Amino acid sequence: MLLHIARKEFHNNLLSARFAIGFLLCLVLIPFSVLLGIGDYRDQAGQYRIDRDAAEKTMKEIRTWSYLRPILVFPPEPLGIFGKGISGQVGNQVKIRLGEKPLLPEGKAAARDNPFLASFFSVDFVDIAAIVLSLLALLFSYDALSREKEDGTLRQQMANPLPRSTLLAGKLVGILMTLLPILVFCFLVGGLIILFSGDLSFSAREWGRLALLALISLGYLVLFVLVGMFVSARTRSSVSSLVLCLFLWVFFVFVVPNMASYAAESFVPAKSRDNLASVTKDMDRGLRERQEAATKSLPRADWDMNWWMSGQDDGREESYGCSASFFEYKRQRASIEIPMMIDNADTKWAPQAAYLESLSRQARAADNLAMISPAGIYRAVAGTLCGTDWAALVRRLDDVRRYRETFISYLRGKDIWSKYEWITAAPPAKMITADAIIEKLSGGRFKTLAAYDAWAGKQADVKSRWDVLRVGKLAGGQPDDFPYLVANDMPGYIERREGVGRSLEGGAVARLGLLAAECLVLFALAYVAFIRYDVR
Amino acid sequence: MWRVIAKREILHNLYSLRFLLSLVLVLGVMAAGSLSFGRRQAAALGNYREARALAVKAMQEDAGSNASQLAVGRRNFDLRPRDNAFMDDAKEKYLPNAIIYSAWNVFGIKSRNDSANPLLAKYDELTWAFIAALLVSFVALLFTFDAVSGEKETKTLSLELANPVPRAAILGGKYVSAVASVTAIMAVGAVVSLLLLIATGGAGMGSATAIEAAAFVGAAALLAAVMAAFGLLCSVLARSSNVSLLLALCVWLLFAVVIPNSSGFVAKTVYPIEKAEAVQKKINQAFDDLNKAAPPGSWMSQSNNPFLPQHELRANLQRKRMAAEKAIRDDYYRTMFRQFERTRGVTAISPAASFGYLAEAVVGGGYARFRKDWDDIHVYQGQFQNWFTALDAKDPKSPHWYNPNEDVSTTREKVSFDIVPQFAERPMSAGERGRAALPYAAVMAIMACLAYGAAYALFVRYDVR
Repeated sequence: MLLHIARKEFHNNLLSARFAIGFLLCLVLIPFSVLLGIGDYRDQAGQYRIDRDAAEKTMKEIRTWSYLRPILVFPPEPLGIFGKGISGQVGNQVKIRLGEKPLLPEGKAAARDNPFLASFFSVDFVDIAAIVLSLLALLFSYDALSREKEDGTLRQQMANPLPRSTLLAGKLVGILMTLLPILVFCFLVGGLIILFSGDLSFSAREWGRLALLALISLGYLVLFVLVGMFVSARTRSSVSSLVLCLFLWVFFVFVVPNMASYAAESFVPAKSRDNLASVTKDMDRGLRERQEAATKSLPRADWDMNWWMSGQDDGREESYGCSASFFEYKRQRASIEIPMMIDNADTKWAPQAAYLESLSRQARAADNLAMISPAGIYRAVAGTLCGTDWAALVRRLDDVRRYRETFISYLRGKDIWSKYEWITAAPPAKMITADAIIEKLSGGRFKTLAAYDAWAGKQADVKSRWDVLRVGKLAGGQPDDFPYLVANDMPGYIERREGVGRSLEGGAVARLGLLAAECLVLFALAYVAFIRYDVR
Repeated sequence: MWRVIAKREILHNLYSLRFLLSLVLVLGVMAAGSLSFGRRQAAALGNYREARALAVKAMQEDAGSNASQLAVGRRNFDLRPRDNAFMDDAKEKYLPNAIIYSAWNVFGIKSRNDSANPLLAKYDELTWAFIAALLVSFVALLFTFDAVSGEKETKTLSLELANPVPRAAILGGKYVSAVASVTAIMAVGAVVSLLLLIATGGAGMGSATAIEAAAFVGAAALLAAVMAAFGLLCSVLARSSNVSLLLALCVWLLFAVVIPNSSGFVAKTVYPIEKAEAVQKKINQAFDDLNKAAPPGSWMSQSNNPFLPQHELRANLQRKRMAAEKAIRDDYYRTMFRQFERTRGVTAISPAASFGYLAEAVVGGGYARFRKDWDDIHVYQGQFQNWFTALDAKDPKSPHWYNPNEDVSTTREKVSFDIVPQFAERPMSAGERGRAALPYAAVMAIMACLAYGAAYALFVRYDVR
């Protein structure tokens, strides 16, 4: 009997205008959303290639160990085509620094070349599925009982020895039989577009997750069908049922997710980034003072002159053409300053971690509040499956920070900041005194630095003081005189491809459980409401 | 006659479930937004004041050091969180909200770190604009989708038309009543929101706020008028209310969800712009060319000797570099503005998107505000530069070789911070708001007329039996 009712319901729905229009809606919106996702993915992949090549070039073209700083560029997540999550809002790379632990990714976000475009929102497959599937589920179920009551057919059916539970279950199965082809169609279209896109290839991992997403979408669909049936069993007319269902739809799908984020931002405050910057700036200032105090007693060089020098933040330095004693001074200074800088990074991490935790807490609160709505649950679980939610980013950053420790251990193992290679590619054997440098550069005109200084002090034109030192050439005075550094044994960063199990950690399973529990409760409520329903 | 019909329809609407639910939903969301606003505004203002205090302190320190340091230092002008953001946040937290300038140049734009949590997916704040774009548009369709087809099903339409009632009066009456009902809901919501904001100290109530609120409700009424016209069109296009509902929902999804969320796609595909890397490459090339062409000694510097002759060469080179970079960057900014504005022009075919742009102009925020500040700060930068050069001219210890990046060859006298010209943001004038709002209001009015005209043309031929 149940199948008989289901089949009748299925046939009725199949021939209805709502099926045709619903199908048409999916036919237009689903490919549109997938194509949007593919467009964004291609942009991100293109940017990834540019950034990766630039990072590789930077890493290859270094000569001193102090410039060795891995730049980790992350490829876009292929499933971001279906659920972009926060992938478009954050950068795609992390630079490993000694004086700073990675806080958030750097690089361009999705708005990329025009930051004004960041104010444009976009929808993805998951958003469209959340909107359209819930709408169709309600449109097919809002009048499941009330319409039949209005037509008088419900009374006729109930005049027969037909259990109400069978009728309710039959209608549920019938509606699901109608909606299932639409759901399958949505995912099939999405999958086919990916298959025929040529430059996109999904691994078994991605296909498996997509299948899981389809399964979760089915659960989401069932939930909204049950909402519709419950409303239908609680209202006397199909118009009232429809109005109520549509308001519930707008509330749950559009209002609650925005309200959740708004409330989270209002009531779970995030720490100020400007304040954090100010605090860490003070810590860096303190570090510089400590470094100066610690290196003050170092023996001064005979001539603190670099003929070629490049110095940047984070202790990066490259010097050529210095006197042996100046190289020695720099070596000793680095051996003191770099460990202090690494320790300072650990100290700075306390406020940084608190800041990051406040951001995570806010995002978590938004997710939890959004669980009031099935659409919130669906979007959160989909973000987890697609690997584009904030939790995946936080886990990746944890991995990156662990990698930084490995990298520092590698450098420490070599005791590299106590060696000349840290600051120059010039071999110690070729380092000469200041007097020898002056003699070479002046073409023998001055034998000692003191002689040169005495002469220079009498010159009014500053330029002429230096022109006399451009006569001769200093071997090893330029970086081009040395080959690039080879650090083949440097540990590489291995991106962990998260299994479904790890992805679903942190509440996703609980959310799925909640979705299932809501389905059961709604079925029970619909059943109870229908038992009491006056079919006359 | 249409007035009688409109009155009857309004009464019918007032007692309907959809009116009750709309009112509850609008009031609920308005209340939630208003109750949270004070708290978040206080936090935003706190962050802003902190950043502003640091910026002023840095300027004071530079002024106390030397005037040239003050002139060449790069400053951030941060946009202050708007007090009327409860009406429309205009997505300002996602837009660039700071402008970098010095006395010599307006360098560029940036987004302040504190404006949005990067771990939180982008969302719409619970402002009046969100409520209007989402709920008013939806409710307007809900009030009209079965205005004709529903009455046809219940046979009341044929009864009505059996009397000497012009079809224009019936359609006009239904249209006016739907727009009035929806506007009333929005107006009640706005009043409740304002009362809550005043009660909780979230906002002060001045005449400017009252005028803005009234203009906002007017804009919402225009949105209701467009969507109600489309609702009527859906109603006369279908023979049954079920089909007209489906059509209305499709229209709503298209106008309120699909088109506004396709802006990024439109911008990228229809109006692509150069990549930032290519622009940087051009700048680097320009720098290389200038460096090569510069006379020998152009990079020489001696901080304790302002009159070092090479400082003039250095200043010339720095000015040329700045001018070259500015020309390239300004050109790039113009393409950015053009891309953004044209994209908005395309998406204005959605009444919900048009309403968003219109509301932004009404409250004097968002992109319109940013452009106004961008232009204003260019004017201010000229004044700042003139002030500095006049100050420098008075100093006999300065060689007056203007270097826009360094303080080596201009006055190094201290200057009182009180006499330094400061940039103060002015609110958008009524004229500026009107000019920004007019195109979108016109588009919406035209759409309402076209949709209503089409609905009327179809209704005249509608088989009411």
